[in-house]
Amino acid sequence: MRRLITKPLMLSILVVAFALAMPHAFKSPYYIHLMTLALIWIVLAQGQNLTQGFVGYVSIAQAGFMGIGAYISTLLTMNYGVSVWVTLVIAPLLTGVMAIVAGYPSLRVKGHYFSIVTLAYNMVIFIVLMTFRALTGGEAGIPDVPRPSELTLFGHVFSFEGRSNLNYYALALSAAVLATIVCALVLHSRAGRVMLAIRQNEDLAEAMGVITSRYKLFAFVMSSILAGLAGTLYAHYIGFLNPEPFGVDQSLNIILAVILGGSGTLAGPIVGAVSVTFLPELLRFADSFRLITYGLILVVATIFLPKGLVPLVTSLWRWLRARQSIPSDNKPTSKA
Amino acid sequence: MNEFLQQILNGLAIGSVYTLVALGLTVVFGILGIAHFAHGSLAMFGGYLTFVFSTSMGLSFFASIAMAMPVGAVMGMLIERLAYRPVRDAPHINAFIIALGLTMMLEGGNLLLFGADQVIIQTPYQQVFDFGGIFVAQLRMVVIVTAVTLVAVVTLLLLKTKTGKSVRAVAQNRHAAVLMGVNVNFVSSVVFAISSALGVAAGALIGALLALAPGVGESFAVKGFAVLILGGLGSLPGAILGGLVLGVSESLAAGFLSSAYKDVISFLIMILVLLVMPQGLMGKK
Amino acid sequence: MKFKTPLTLAALVISAALSPAVHASEEVLVLGVNDALTGGGAVYGLPQANAVQMAADEINAAGGIKAGSITYKLKVITSDDKANPTEATNSVRKLIDRDNVKYLVGFCCSGSTSAVASFIAKEDALMLVGNAAERAITAQGIPNVFRTRPPADFTGSAAGTFVAQKGARNVAVIGALEVGFYTQYVDAFEKELNKVGGKIIAKEAFGLRDRDMTPQLTKIRGLKPDAILVVGYVEPAAFVYRQAVELGLNVPRYGFTSGSEEQFLKVVTSAQMEGVWDLRPTELTIEALGPQAKAYDANYRKKFNQSPTPSSPYAYDQVYVLKNAIERAGSAKDAKKVAEAVRTLPIPKEAVMKYMANDGSAMFDQNGQAYTSNGAFQWQKGKWVFVSELPSDNKAYSQFLRSIRK
Repeated sequence: MRRLITKPLMLSILVVAFALAMPHAFKSPYYIHLMTLALIWIVLAQGQNLTQGFVGYVSIAQAGFMGIGAYISTLLTMNYGVSVWVTLVIAPLLTGVMAIVAGYPSLRVKGHYFSIVTLAYNMVIFIVLMTFRALTGGEAGIPDVPRPSELTLFGHVFSFEGRSNLNYYALALSAAVLATIVCALVLHSRAGRVMLAIRQNEDLAEAMGVITSRYKLFAFVMSSILAGLAGTLYAHYIGFLNPEPFGVDQSLNIILAVILGGSGTLAGPIVGAVSVTFLPELLRFADSFRLITYGLILVVATIFLPKGLVPLVTSLWRWLRARQSIPSDNKPTSKA
Repeated sequence: MNEFLQQILNGLAIGSVYTLVALGLTVVFGILGIAHFAHGSLAMFGGYLTFVFSTSMGLSFFASIAMAMPVGAVMGMLIERLAYRPVRDAPHINAFIIALGLTMMLEGGNLLLFGADQVIIQTPYQQVFDFGGIFVAQLRMVVIVTAVTLVAVVTLLLLKTKTGKSVRAVAQNRHAAVLMGVNVNFVSSVVFAISSALGVAAGALIGALLALAPGVGESFAVKGFAVLILGGLGSLPGAILGGLVLGVSESLAAGFLSSAYKDVISFLIMILVLLVMPQGLMGKK
Repeated sequence: MKFKTPLTLAALVISAALSPAVHASEEVLVLGVNDALTGGGAVYGLPQANAVQMAADEINAAGGIKAGSITYKLKVITSDDKANPTEATNSVRKLIDRDNVKYLVGFCCSGSTSAVASFIAKEDALMLVGNAAERAITAQGIPNVFRTRPPADFTGSAAGTFVAQKGARNVAVIGALEVGFYTQYVDAFEKELNKVGGKIIAKEAFGLRDRDMTPQLTKIRGLKPDAILVVGYVEPAAFVYRQAVELGLNVPRYGFTSGSEEQFLKVVTSAQMEGVWDLRPTELTIEALGPQAKAYDANYRKKFNQSPTPSSPYAYDQVYVLKNAIERAGSAKDAKKVAEAVRTLPIPKEAVMKYMANDGSAMFDQNGQAYTSNGAFQWQKGKWVFVSELPSDNKAYSQFLRSIRK
């Protein structure tokens, strides 16, 4: 645990402080809106990273679980009057339960079979959400999804209404930080090490007596809980809920975000999520160019940078520092 | 009874297209171990190309397909060489991710080249035959016959020719094949060429029977994998049987259960088979 | 992209430079078009965007909008929402926050439009909705939302009466029933059919992306209907019409699809379409409407090299509604004041669609809803022919709309 109190932690605190200060610098409501979305995406990407990066199983169902969380929370708050603060906890957990049901059988298959099955799940979820109009409102959707109610803390009243709301931004930021901390804890725990071993060589891990199915299921369920949290935050932020954002295309975008940033790292999903949110804004391209660019990035990254951007940056950083310290001793430096 | 037979007949046409798509997938998967998800979008490209040939050059339906197939084959070989070969020895999942990336690129490319509006390939086969209350559209018959012919040709190719033998050798045991002097790179190219040519034909048939539009390719790719899983990965007869079974099941389910959830049925079948009978109807492993 | 926005901008700059210095108070008024420019909704959205551009160019060429002492020249910005509610939310936010747009037009598709309607009340903006037919959009009574196209069920009941009069008593419905407003149309239709003792014997569904409806049609065939009703987007509906013929389903085919001849002929032959009915608002069909419509049709063809779609004038009329309202309000600065002007506005003389006046000869009722008359159109020898008007009571419907919330 002592390893945690290191430069990465200092860096993380700096990043969070920066993120807190940012909206006061860039006052544009549009950029606050985008950043809020990016933060929700970070939660999604960290979740995806648990299965894709740590265990090495690429799930194409993350957007589907996000949708499940979003709808559970929306229906509970709107039809049963449950407070949003409560559903922010319940909806992700219920999503996790659904993931157990889905994951238990599908984790019996490996590699691309698993991916294809999760793809099928996402498609089923999407079709059911679209077609089961009585429950979900179908394609027309559910308008007026409520924001969380006001909080009164230390004599201050924090309201969450209104577009580009700074308090909602802070809420999303807290969720992103929480997601990252959870993943950090998992990564540094015994479970995390087992997961990484499974990614390296599942047969070997099994031969060593590890009950891989338990760990795979754990990762899958944790990942879907985070997806459910992201979905809940999303639905109550946008205020309008319909199945469109939870299709297979979105799941593919999430996979891209994790690969781009660096799967298996903690900073990777953050970099990936922010990039994927802001890239369409910077490159004001037509859809066709965006698809081609994303696809090309995915292909090139998988061939040349299979570890993603963040490890590339850290390697570069280490290499530069190693070069700096050459004059002081004769030994060759440790490999970057 | 009439309606039941009609539903089955309807399903056979779409089922034969599924078979064709699945065949393209199964040769790549069975022989090279790559889950080539981009196959659907490549098939769409082939369909669009057929449309362009038939409208701008005034060629007949089949002449256009005949011209588009070699183009597709070349594209398939390029994709294999540039995108899949570099990760041949990496974990299988990397190839799948590349397949996803290729899918996005092909979808984007199709959008750029052919636009977002749906495209339908006109054919001269507009007649409808009435067999005592069961109506068969001539176009549907043409689709079934074309698919059957292509499947037969590919099967003969794989069973009777020397190249076919090399291909089967690689499928059985890559290392042994290398030791016996088989050029694995050549085999990889051939497999992708066959697969993509089949894909182009499938795309053209979809364009004639239904329509080509953004997103259609992905959905056929998924159904193709459903067929693969149903029939047994890597099995040729499995792909044939699986395609027809899927097509007819969809038709019957939509007709007798619920049309709203029609697509869900193929996915549920896939999930069920994977969980209960992972080797599929005719699979080996 | 078909918009000549750069050209328009150049034209504006040049004309601004050349016009005499006396016109000191000339401002640019930005109009934001939010529509489905790509994807499945583009068949409705793109023509609307074109129509807006055309209207803006006409207004600018005629001198702009003269409100008080200021003359406004229109600049059109388009934003693609892909008929997707999430995209639409982002798209409109961008228009309002980044491009400072106060006047939003277009809105072809219900899903995305509903998403925007759910937050637009809090914005300093005015939203004019076009082709989107979901009733809730105006039923909610949002003060800054107006719609030129009548809700689907307004047309549905008129259609039901018509089909009942034609003698059908066992009607099979096949449609995009997962979309709310199509179901509303069918429900209103069913009510009228029930009144004469008829009934709907089947309700089969298809999705926007479906192209093979033979299972549903085979099932319908087995139930022996005396008519079928097809409700849905043009693209899949065209396949339904074709496959009905391929399956030997020889009963009258009634529809609610609003597609142009070109859009249908891509999929189905004219012979296969012969006799198909389209029961919809009396949208653009030259014989049905007056000289305004003829001019619109001719100008659109010249400018965009294709025929205008039946529903594109909803957007064209939006621009003229805005023009007249701004002139009445005396300024475009305050979107609220302009909204109030819209509320009492009489039907503009430049409007292409045929609107039915509400109380006090206003174009829009208290919910911000305008009503076009409904008509029965039939495909005859390759063209949609206007056959007759479908009697509809907009005042009664307006009262009904006031009494509900969705």
